[in-house]
Amino acid sequence: MSESAFWNEDWMKTQQKYWKNWTDMSRKAMGLQQPLKSPLESAMEHWWQGLSPGADDMTRDFMNKMMTQTQSYFRMAEGYYSNANESENWLDAANRTVTDLQKLFSGDGDNVFGGSEATGDDALHKIMAFWEMPMDNWQRMVSSLSLMPGDLLRNMPHKDGLDRFLSAPGLGYLREEEGHYKQLTQRVVEYQQCLSEYMSFFSNLGLMSANRMKERIDGLAKDGKQVESARALYDLWVSSSEDVYGEQVMTPEYARIHGRLVNGLMALKQKHGHVIDEVLGGLNMPTRRELRTLQDRLQESRRESKAMQSEIDLLKAQMIELRTLVTSRPKTSTAKLKDAATPKKKVTIKKKATAKKA
Amino acid sequence: MEPFNVRPDQLAEEMLDYSRKLGKGVENLLNSEKIDAGVTPKVEVYREDKLRLYRYEAPADIVQSSIPTLIVYALVNRPYMTDLQENRSTVSNLLATGQDIYLVDWGYPDEADRSLTMDDYINGYLDRCVDVICKRHKLDKINILGICQGGAFSLCYSSLHPDKVKNLITMVTPVDFQTPDNMLSAWVQQLDVDLLVDTLGNVPGELLNWTFLSLKPFSLTGQKYLSMVDVLEDEGKLKNFLRMEKWIFDSPDQAGETFRQFVKDFYQKNGFIEGGVNVGNRPIDLKNVTCPVLNIFAEQDHLVPPDSSRALQNLTGSKDYTELSFPGGHIGIYVSGKAQKLVPPAIGQWLDERSR
Repeated sequence: MSESAFWNEDWMKTQQKYWKNWTDMSRKAMGLQQPLKSPLESAMEHWWQGLSPGADDMTRDFMNKMMTQTQSYFRMAEGYYSNANESENWLDAANRTVTDLQKLFSGDGDNVFGGSEATGDDALHKIMAFWEMPMDNWQRMVSSLSLMPGDLLRNMPHKDGLDRFLSAPGLGYLREEEGHYKQLTQRVVEYQQCLSEYMSFFSNLGLMSANRMKERIDGLAKDGKQVESARALYDLWVSSSEDVYGEQVMTPEYARIHGRLVNGLMALKQKHGHVIDEVLGGLNMPTRRELRTLQDRLQESRRESKAMQSEIDLLKAQMIELRTLVTSRPKTSTAKLKDAATPKKKVTIKKKATAKKA
Repeated sequence: MEPFNVRPDQLAEEMLDYSRKLGKGVENLLNSEKIDAGVTPKVEVYREDKLRLYRYEAPADIVQSSIPTLIVYALVNRPYMTDLQENRSTVSNLLATGQDIYLVDWGYPDEADRSLTMDDYINGYLDRCVDVICKRHKLDKINILGICQGGAFSLCYSSLHPDKVKNLITMVTPVDFQTPDNMLSAWVQQLDVDLLVDTLGNVPGELLNWTFLSLKPFSLTGQKYLSMVDVLEDEGKLKNFLRMEKWIFDSPDQAGETFRQFVKDFYQKNGFIEGGVNVGNRPIDLKNVTCPVLNIFAEQDHLVPPDSSRALQNLTGSKDYTELSFPGGHIGIYVSGKAQKLVPPAIGQWLDERSR
């Protein structure tokens, strides 16, 4: 890979040229020039797309995560840079950046970023995607449990009238089957409501994080500390977000929403499984229900068999011990032992007999 | 003083530096060899179903303790966390203190293992492993070192089979499952565990991973990768990171019936504190744990808060109870350089004092 001309030369040259221009312009203009729209993100994406086919799965997965975070980091820097160009001092630039974040999360997306790029494609708009991470993780997990993509149900439209339709009784020969499909649809709708509730919970947290970041910045000023890099700014944003998240997800409200989300997904998957089982049964194929019954019975048999095996092992060990005991004693005392053991045996037999009668 | 001291030209330099590091790092990443984990030589001494019992080979010049120690890892993730790499191996450092180390590897349960219960794991697999070791060494009892969920299993085992446990060590083990700072516990209270297990059968590793990553989503699924750019250039550090990464996402599914009982009895009913846990129709009473106990916890543990582990102090029947507090997190306690210097030597010394 290191021999690739694309890798060694083209990409690095393009990057260096771009950054050299930007640096020169920054030095000249110190914020008085119009900000350039960064081509870096798309350049990086193209660069990684060119390289990724040669990477193994783990490397590709790792780099995809890195690229996502790199984009967030660059967007944060880009947003700050843009505000710096519009401001007279760095504090003002930072305050503008935080204010833009607050505006974005409160739904007022116009005139942010110095009003230069209110098209929905600017850096700070993209930073909003950062707060989609918990949601994104959920979608990935759902995808891994299902044949469906995780976001399939996220934006599915549904109307109130659907509830009425779904609760209407079925008619005729296929009423049972119709009932199953209606219940399945009902659970889709219920899960979608849980998902929407979950997303709406997170939608407020972005604004709270922006406010927390503002407090942190004020705190830094009071303590005489400084943020000296874009990376430190990004870290401040992460820790502000993590703090707010940590506080909010410990609330009873979140526990309820989280529980409803997982329970809603499970209810949907369970019904889905039942419908598939019905189809498989109709085709005379083994169903999951049957397999599970067999698994339970098999495990029970294995449990019994292992318990019996350990009893047999114990008895064998006792037998060996007894045999050793018997053979190691003089014959006379062995005979005495036998005599002494005889009445006890009778008692045992009697007890067993009594128990049987009872 | 103004809180910001970032000029646009500095910003551009920083971005360029980042890109340069990333470029060089990716080259290392693409050239990196297959990631291995689990470095100390070991031999398999027993197997049953998917379970494997290993004995680690001690260095030739070490005089080993006559009482072996069995490491009981959690069902979540894989036990090679304790033996991640040569300079970060709890196992290797325990061997260096003269301990004779065995480890239970539970394997990767599949759908056929769905019906395995806590009784099967504790009174079945674990008990048979202990018997195998006792037989090999002609002993009646051995030391047990339980980790996280494996620690909870070890507590149950020691309560049910006190005659087979010489010394018990619990590491980052949840005991009080409902401390106010336990995020996992807060989340699962509203979970319909029966519905979840009835639906999924086994509980997928992906679901467990999502739950763990959700505890700190921005740090664990975001910032961590950005910070990596600083170590990508160093092949050694990169390999260390990739080993950790492999471990984090190497998550076996968890047998459904065991998960059902574990979450309901412990997370939802707080069974060690409130009682009412039965394993194999026998109640778990920690007062039955009368052997010496060393309880080790991590001060910055976000999965098992320190107070959750500390709760063990007044629950056992042991007259010889010791605590060791480690200044780090749930994972750092095995892999950090600080932990290697502190934790295994402390365990070794504690065991030596009680194994004579």
